[in-house]
Amino acid sequence: MSADIDTLPGYTSGNGTGHIVRWLAGFALRGGSLLAFAALLVFFSVAAPFFFTLGNIGNVLGQSAILGVLAIGLTIVIIGGGANVVKGGIDLSLAANLGLSAAVYATLVSAGYGDGVAIAGALLTGSLIGLVNAIAIVVFGIVPLLATLAVMNVVAGLELVLTQNTVVSASSDFLSLLSAYGPFDIPVLAYVLVIFTGIAAAIIQFTPLGLRLYAVGAFPEAARAAGLPVKRMVAGSYVASGFCGGVAGILSVSYLSGSTTGAGEMLLPVVVTALLSVVFSRRLVPTIGGTLLSTLLVGFLTNGFQLLNISSTLVSGIQGILILLVVAATSLQRGKGAA
Amino acid sequence: MSPVTENSKYALSLRGLVKRFGGVEALSGATLEVERGTVHGLIGQNGAGKSTLIKILAGLYQPDEGVIEINGIRHERLTAREVEKLGIHFIHQDRLLVPSFNVGESLFLGREPRLNRLPFLDRRSMRKRAQDILDRYFNLRLPANALISELTTAQKQIVQITRALLDKPSILVFDEPTAALVRREADILFDLIGRLRTDGITIIYISHYLNEIEALCDRATILRNGRDVASVDPRSTPASKIASLMVARDIGEMFPKVATTIGAPVLTAKKLSKAGKFRNVSLDVRQGEIVGLAGLLGSGAKDLVRVLFGLDTADSGEITIEGEQGRPRSPVAAVAKRLALVPEDRRGDGVALGLSVAENTTLASLKRFTRSGFLQRNAEHAEVDRLIEQLAIKTNGRFAPVRTLSGGNQQKVALAKWLSRKSSLYILDEPTVGVDIGSKVEIYNLIGKLAERGAGILVLSSDLSELIGITDRILVLFRGSVVREFRSSETTPDDVLAEATGALTPHHGEERHVG
Amino acid sequence: MSIAANPDHNPFGLQSVGQYLLRYAVIVALAGVFAFFSFATTTFLTSANLTSILVNNFTLLAIVAVAMTFAVAAGGIDLSVGTSVDFASFTFVSLVLAGYPVGLAILLALVSGAAVGGFNALLISGAGITPFLATLGTLFIGRSTQQLLTNGGNPVYLPQTGISPLFSFIGHGHIIGVPVPLVIVGLLIIVAATLLFRTRFGRVVLAIGVQQSVARYSGLHVPGHIGLIYVISGLIAAIAGIILTSTVSVYIPNSGGAFMLNAIGATFIGTTLSREGRPNVPGTVLGVLLLSIVANGLLLTGLSFYWQQVGTGLLIFIVLAASFLNRRGRVD
Repeated sequence: MSADIDTLPGYTSGNGTGHIVRWLAGFALRGGSLLAFAALLVFFSVAAPFFFTLGNIGNVLGQSAILGVLAIGLTIVIIGGGANVVKGGIDLSLAANLGLSAAVYATLVSAGYGDGVAIAGALLTGSLIGLVNAIAIVVFGIVPLLATLAVMNVVAGLELVLTQNTVVSASSDFLSLLSAYGPFDIPVLAYVLVIFTGIAAAIIQFTPLGLRLYAVGAFPEAARAAGLPVKRMVAGSYVASGFCGGVAGILSVSYLSGSTTGAGEMLLPVVVTALLSVVFSRRLVPTIGGTLLSTLLVGFLTNGFQLLNISSTLVSGIQGILILLVVAATSLQRGKGAA
Repeated sequence: MSPVTENSKYALSLRGLVKRFGGVEALSGATLEVERGTVHGLIGQNGAGKSTLIKILAGLYQPDEGVIEINGIRHERLTAREVEKLGIHFIHQDRLLVPSFNVGESLFLGREPRLNRLPFLDRRSMRKRAQDILDRYFNLRLPANALISELTTAQKQIVQITRALLDKPSILVFDEPTAALVRREADILFDLIGRLRTDGITIIYISHYLNEIEALCDRATILRNGRDVASVDPRSTPASKIASLMVARDIGEMFPKVATTIGAPVLTAKKLSKAGKFRNVSLDVRQGEIVGLAGLLGSGAKDLVRVLFGLDTADSGEITIEGEQGRPRSPVAAVAKRLALVPEDRRGDGVALGLSVAENTTLASLKRFTRSGFLQRNAEHAEVDRLIEQLAIKTNGRFAPVRTLSGGNQQKVALAKWLSRKSSLYILDEPTVGVDIGSKVEIYNLIGKLAERGAGILVLSSDLSELIGITDRILVLFRGSVVREFRSSETTPDDVLAEATGALTPHHGEERHVG
Repeated sequence: MSIAANPDHNPFGLQSVGQYLLRYAVIVALAGVFAFFSFATTTFLTSANLTSILVNNFTLLAIVAVAMTFAVAAGGIDLSVGTSVDFASFTFVSLVLAGYPVGLAILLALVSGAAVGGFNALLISGAGITPFLATLGTLFIGRSTQQLLTNGGNPVYLPQTGISPLFSFIGHGHIIGVPVPLVIVGLLIIVAATLLFRTRFGRVVLAIGVQQSVARYSGLHVPGHIGLIYVISGLIAAIAGIILTSTVSVYIPNSGGAFMLNAIGATFIGTTLSREGRPNVPGTVLGVLLLSIVANGLLLTGLSFYWQQVGTGLLIFIVLAASFLNRRGRVD
């Protein structure tokens, strides 16, 4: 009788060679992605001396603020809904949400209302959109991909109705403050991104609520067995995502000095950024910190290409290749038999 | 411990429970009464109603009739939430743990320690308390950051039990807890159950293994066909008596074994090995022969079947099918070599719940009903109707989604899929799990008929009396090797189990556990 | 235990008129909007307008949505249908501009669309990447590729003269009084519906879409079929690219993406027509028709142009909500 396949308890036994291969793949993926990020920064710093200056880095952060805030919203939804993109959590209405929230803000300001009212209006708009998504998904039971797709259409239409497809320009004290430069000559938007990420990360990564959200998304039966209100938490994740859309709307008004007609263009970059977040986490789950890193990765890529005078059109191609590499590596890491 | 003020002798009393699913009665007046502070065994064959009873207790099903009393208080309806409030906890077979969580997070999900009353997680305390608890109860050390997905099955189970213990339960229900444990882990579990009993926790212990029941339980209720047939003291009742109480009918009547002429080999496997799964396994199945494969979890039996059907590849060895040598590299190749597999996970792999009876039935034989690419609906439907009638499939017609059928009828559809084409070897993995007793006998009859017509059949079943009843020969796998071959007419479930659990060396009376 | 048996199962799935209406929400909605616009506007119910709906609103979306239906039927999704449209359009324009015969240009345009699908097939069947992510990656790579090919996204115009008449015939010609694009769409719908519902290939695809592992355990060639589905999806989308180019005589980089979300919407609206929620060509066509009528009708009501999108979105939302609410009680 052979004793060599005896599985003794203990951490080291794992699942044999497959386990080691997957661990290595995982390590290479995580280490590799951070390494690749670092190498990219080094390359740009050498190739374009201006790249690695505080001013430039601040600019990249500032330019990435809108994308980052939206991607954080989507990350929350993916955490709470699970990683299956079709049946799991996804919010396609986020970019349209940004457009409408921005339009509401700009319209209110240009109609003479104060910043307080306008901010409240934009945030409320965003959150309401999130609430509609939540109801469609949790109450009506529509698949998130479709529910948010339909909501996206409505929201994009409402934005057109509100702005008549024009740019509503807006200026106010608050907007000037946001679009100004803060300490160290770094854009205020950069600080906003860092603070917003910090708050989101604190909630998602460091509170019981965040932990529970992960459980709800990764294994709803387990969450239910632990007595968690699964539906309410899923609904909450969409409202949170909608709120992020509202925040991004405000940032976008300040960045563009008005509403934008092209908000829909943001959708796919946001999806990609949130999905890329996974590679920056040890457990290969989406995290807020990971989303910030992937936002910056995209931001530095674009910026570096601009500085090197390389056509920035390559950026979306590189994003595409990145997703494919990441996903292929992730599925290798999880092992083919995992399903 | 939840304080018990009532004077009821029973922690739990379920009386006269009836539960129907469509036309099938899963429970027909079952009673389970558990005295406070005891370990109570619940035993019965597959389909006896154990899982339905437990799901009623868990608040997942509502009984159609019957009385539920917990700590002497009658409950009209139980919801999952109430059950938890009453301090009843379940250690399920499927481990409800989030794969991407670490041990501490898994243990404290839903009742996380906070950092100095701030709304933040106290990760350090979670980690430390998790280690303390695991160390105290199981003498087990896990690296603080180990993720659930990196743990062995047994370790996951231990995490789940620990999770339940944190709630200070009054009643703990173990559902086949040792099915995935190695010996040492099972011993730790038994020690633990003993300690929990001393602490005054009432324990319901569900198991297939009579020796475990005998070693652990103060009392045992035996279920058969949805009823409780006896409540015994397993220490003073001979195992053979309990076994005979579990078996529904006279074995001869239940397993209608037909004598067949055994012909040339259909399948010959020589020295098949797959690293970490099985080594040097040789077997053959001949025309008209029904061969049983017995082996507990981790024995390699399931892995062997996957290799035979081309779902996995072996590292070495030969497979010859109907005289033609060559290992099937994929299920496509296996089916082309006229192999058929009825997989264990019926609802996952066997039948497509969203497809109709007709679509499922012809899925493996579509070529027969195709002319220049187009489906010949009439021919297809005629064949489907013929099989519905032949197998007595109870369905609202050929277009009903398989989802709407009962478990037994779903299984018949899974079989019908392979009857719609001619196969020379049928591999049946747990063909009667979750099947009502009537359909079981029909499936046995069908297996017999296939053998009579000259097909070879390889059956895997954890119901050993079934395996002995319907097969000609039984090969027993233990830890990846064939350790014994029995003639089915000359063996008993106890003999087979002894080989399957590796209890070869005669330490009589010692408990046997899964390897 | 047999949890599957549903004692309340009703073979016809009709328990009340309300449920009946919910079940056929698409058809009810279609009839509703048709009736509404017929009364609300004087111009809606004229043959000129109805033709315009079919030619201008329906044709291209229907083709792309049929392509999408194949991917969804196999349990996946194809976010890169627009990329196939664009690649076909680019190939077509470039070859015609370079003086190649229109017939050859069409053939190679179809090949280029199918090649995009082939790339998806490699990623999905070969590398095991989920369809959503694989086709999303293709979409992004396709974007950059087109911008590189066109010096950063400049449209490629065809001259008004000197082009083979076959070219404008595809976009503007008539066959026995029926516009050519409509003839092509009609043929495509029939072929696609037949392929999915009358052939063995279609049955296997359906089985894969409903429960992939069962198809695998039944000895069916799953990766091969899935790969082929994406090639077919790309090929069909390429037809839209050819018609689009012939109609407007210009290739605009990355313009095909506009169809993608509506195609998904139409496909899933179409699934509500099937009792089991299966993707199906007739349902998809009805979904596209619904979207086309609403787009056209809202325009005619004289309401602001921008209300179109709101109306369309709301309608999709209502149809989906109705059918999902209806299905909820029965499934799981």
